[in-house]
Amino acid sequence: MDILFDVLRTAIAPSTAAFALAAIGLNFHFGLTGLLNMGHAGFMLLGMYGFAISLQAGWPIWLALIAGLVAAGVFALLLGWPTLKLRGDYLAIVTIAAAEMVRFLGRSQSLKDLTGASSGIRGKDFKEPFELLSPFPDRIVEIGPFSLHGSRSSSWWLTVVTWSLVFLFAAIYWRLASSPWGRVLKGIREDEDAVRSLGKNVYSYKMQALVIGGMIGALGGITWSLGNSVQPDSMGRPTTFWIWTLLLLGGAATVFGPVLGSILFWSALTLVKSVASALIPSDVLAPTELEPFSLVLVGVTLMLLVVFRPQGVLGNKKELAFNG
Amino acid sequence: MADTVFTSVPREPGAVKPNAILVADGVTRRFGGLTAVDVAHFEVERNSITALIGPNGAGKSTFFNLLTGFDSAQEGEGTFEGRPLRGMSPAKVARAGMVRTFQLTKALNRMTVMENMRLGAQSQPGENLVRAFVPPLWATREREISEQAHELLHRFKLYEKREDYAGSLSGGQRKLLEMARALMSKPTMVMLDEPMAGVNPALTESLLDHIVELKEDGMTVLFVEHDMHMVRRISDWVVVMAEGKIIAEGPANTVMANRAVQDAYLGSHHDTDLFEEREEA
Amino acid sequence: MLATLDRRTLLKAALVFVIAAIGFVAVVTLGGGAEAASADPEVATTAATTAAGGNILLQNLFNGVVFGLLLALASVGLSLIYGTTGLSNFAHGEMVTFGAMITFFLATQQPVSLPLLPFSFTVGLPLIPAALIGISISAGFGWLQDKVIWSQLRRRRVAMVQQMIVSIGLSLALVNLIQWWIGGRPVRLTTSIDPRNQYGPISVGNVTLMSMAIAIVALLGVAYFLQRTRLGRATRAVSDNPALASASGIKVDSIIRIVWVMAAGLAALGGILLALYQQGIGFDDGTQLLLLMFAAVTLGGLGHPYGALVGSLIIGIVAEVSTVWLPPDLKFATALGILIVVLLFRPQGILGKSERVG
Ligand SMILES: Nc1ncnc2c1ncn2[C@@H]1O[C@H](COP(=O)(O)OP(=O)(O)OP(=O)(O)O)[C@@H](O)[C@H]1O
Ligand SMILES: [Mg+2]
Repeated sequence: MDILFDVLRTAIAPSTAAFALAAIGLNFHFGLTGLLNMGHAGFMLLGMYGFAISLQAGWPIWLALIAGLVAAGVFALLLGWPTLKLRGDYLAIVTIAAAEMVRFLGRSQSLKDLTGASSGIRGKDFKEPFELLSPFPDRIVEIGPFSLHGSRSSSWWLTVVTWSLVFLFAAIYWRLASSPWGRVLKGIREDEDAVRSLGKNVYSYKMQALVIGGMIGALGGITWSLGNSVQPDSMGRPTTFWIWTLLLLGGAATVFGPVLGSILFWSALTLVKSVASALIPSDVLAPTELEPFSLVLVGVTLMLLVVFRPQGVLGNKKELAFNG
Repeated sequence: MADTVFTSVPREPGAVKPNAILVADGVTRRFGGLTAVDVAHFEVERNSITALIGPNGAGKSTFFNLLTGFDSAQEGEGTFEGRPLRGMSPAKVARAGMVRTFQLTKALNRMTVMENMRLGAQSQPGENLVRAFVPPLWATREREISEQAHELLHRFKLYEKREDYAGSLSGGQRKLLEMARALMSKPTMVMLDEPMAGVNPALTESLLDHIVELKEDGMTVLFVEHDMHMVRRISDWVVVMAEGKIIAEGPANTVMANRAVQDAYLGSHHDTDLFEEREEA
Repeated sequence: MLATLDRRTLLKAALVFVIAAIGFVAVVTLGGGAEAASADPEVATTAATTAAGGNILLQNLFNGVVFGLLLALASVGLSLIYGTTGLSNFAHGEMVTFGAMITFFLATQQPVSLPLLPFSFTVGLPLIPAALIGISISAGFGWLQDKVIWSQLRRRRVAMVQQMIVSIGLSLALVNLIQWWIGGRPVRLTTSIDPRNQYGPISVGNVTLMSMAIAIVALLGVAYFLQRTRLGRATRAVSDNPALASASGIKVDSIIRIVWVMAAGLAALGGILLALYQQGIGFDDGTQLLLLMFAAVTLGGLGHPYGALVGSLIIGIVAEVSTVWLPPDLKFATALGILIVVLLFRPQGILGKSERVG
């Protein structure tokens, strides 16, 4: 019973919503345009650095938000510039490399004053302006079976904001994907030379998709950091791979795939961890081994998913995002 | 079949045409040590059907790529309707009115036939990111585009398939779709790279008719084809490439009787006339 | 290539250079002398080496060559796999770690255990036999991987992007499996201290010299295999054009199987030597190295067998020499930056060739 309750709480948690947002961004890249962005965590990290550092510098919250998004947008432009003219796997290699560069730079001792190096930026150093906006009371509030703080950290306030953003951006995805603009992107996903031969500026469209998806990723990062903190090492490669897994799980190139995927992914992970720690004796699986154990499962899930159900839960096999 | 405009054109490589729409001059493309294209001069007459033939590896597809901006030449200049082609991107070339198809068909498999067609249309305001948010700005144009697509699909006998995924079409149907899609942009010139390859004889007939119709509609057609029978039936003018160079030009009959052309196709040791036999078969 | 190296490309490259330069200057000025405070053990070793050596530049150049050779060993397999199958194998880094860890498992005097088994034991073999067995087991693992996963995917004609994501899943699973198995702390293959010798301005340990020699011999072996043996020529033929190779009677699938075995074995050797050279290896060191391997392979020309060697040496030297001017914890970032800049100039890599459209 407790386990089920944990799972439910994970399903509606703000960080689940944050990952859903990030996955919507990746869906613009991969689902719609076929871009292999393997450095999505880098966009998220840049977003949160931009946001948190601006807030620390005393900027108003809306300006800090814009700073975070612009940082990710500029990053997308810089990455896309040399690589969007090349074959797909170059983008994969360059994005993964660039995301790691962001992380290396962020945790570098040389930038300690700005980014807090490897220990990052603590929540209480930048969250206050956001928490002051909360209409919820400044104490623990019980709604139904859930009790969360009204305004602080992973609060009711953050829950409401993140899930609203998720539905807003799912709607934006739907609007754009079913417009002529989205049609051009789908064409590029299928065969960019064909689309070129039809008079579309493929480079510019790919760049637009990369920037938009990257900025949504940054927003995902910002909302994630509001529930946690800015921590470069929690935005490494595994994070990018989780987003891929949950996007493919839900169904790439669908409107609700990223949302459903995020909920399923995090619920399943909580379920596995709780069940494993409840059932497997600790001399077989020590508590410290629980994390790697569940990540092994994530990796295996990703492999099986891609081979046996590449369209995910919601996708349509005939309209798969993969090029055959 | 040859048009009267061509009567005064000399039957020699690089012949100057009375009213050329496409001109290329001194174009060379080398891949490492291999010179794939080395064309001294080349013109295509406006509102004609010109065939580009030559043995495998002659450089025809590479020349197409150079003309349409998909590849860039080391040397040489080209103009399309008087506008210089150098440095033009493939998209700009297409928007200028010269669209192409590919030797290996590029149907957009996981999109429906209609979506494929709609993608071919030009000046859809909804293809702009900002305007895409506001359907009233593009819905009218979308209806026009859909109507035009229906019309073309009827003509190319694909109307019944309009809601199917392009990936489910047969090879020949994909060729038809690619051609129909190219026509959505209302081009002034179409360049077809082996439009008939792999298409069954019944479909070939209607494809040939379509190409002739394009000319009647005022378009210029340049196409690559290996089947001499087809070339003879519809082309006004034939250009022969071998080893990157243009070795002969003229109406189909003259060109096929040309010694250099026969050598290029068969090597110098031959005693039968390939092309005559082909026609009897 | 003249066509792509036009003014616009140059301008772009110049601009990126300027931006990168401004970035680095900012980093360095903001940083001041902060690097001494770093707790990273690797940083500490590098700092120690630089302090000991007379000429810092030469010493770093030498370190770069050593690191480049080890990197080459690890990335040759990655390049061969890419060449013969078209797969960008994201799980190759774990093959490097796996080789070192299995050797540690066999050689260490401490008690070790296996995941899910609630007891521990000691194997305690001497280092050299342990390393040889470790390389064999890794090579066998490469064979198994191709048999169980990759050949099946090829047979089912699974798209390349899908295969690439499968390799990402495998990488995630393996790196965590290794952490679960060995734990989160770096381990050392030997406990003995390597005495350092001074050759002119360069100081170098015996183990490092041995590692270098082994790496050079192994790389020469690979070159001999590719150039002189029938199998090697067949491998190059498959790399060049699989369809043609298959049509001319080469058994493409067996060639690919051999490539997997070789790639895994070489990666394991690379991992073992790396663990000796940097005096320890952590569960995700291979995963970190993967990026540098990709950078090296891409630099040299994706799929080109000798590209990996050229690219690795450049990446190794750049990474080490950059520490003369930049904080050492940024050396990987510098190497990755180089990759991005090179892609601007010569997207097909140094030895690669361009592809055709249409
Ligand atoms: N990207 C490339 N790199 C190297 N060589 C190339 C490239 N593209 C084409 N070639 C070579 O250029 C020559 C001309 O090729 P092209 O495809 O233009 O011939 P083609 O006349 O279209 O032949 P076919 O009738 O068989 O289609 C061939 O020898 C081909 O191998
Ligand atoms: Mg051709």
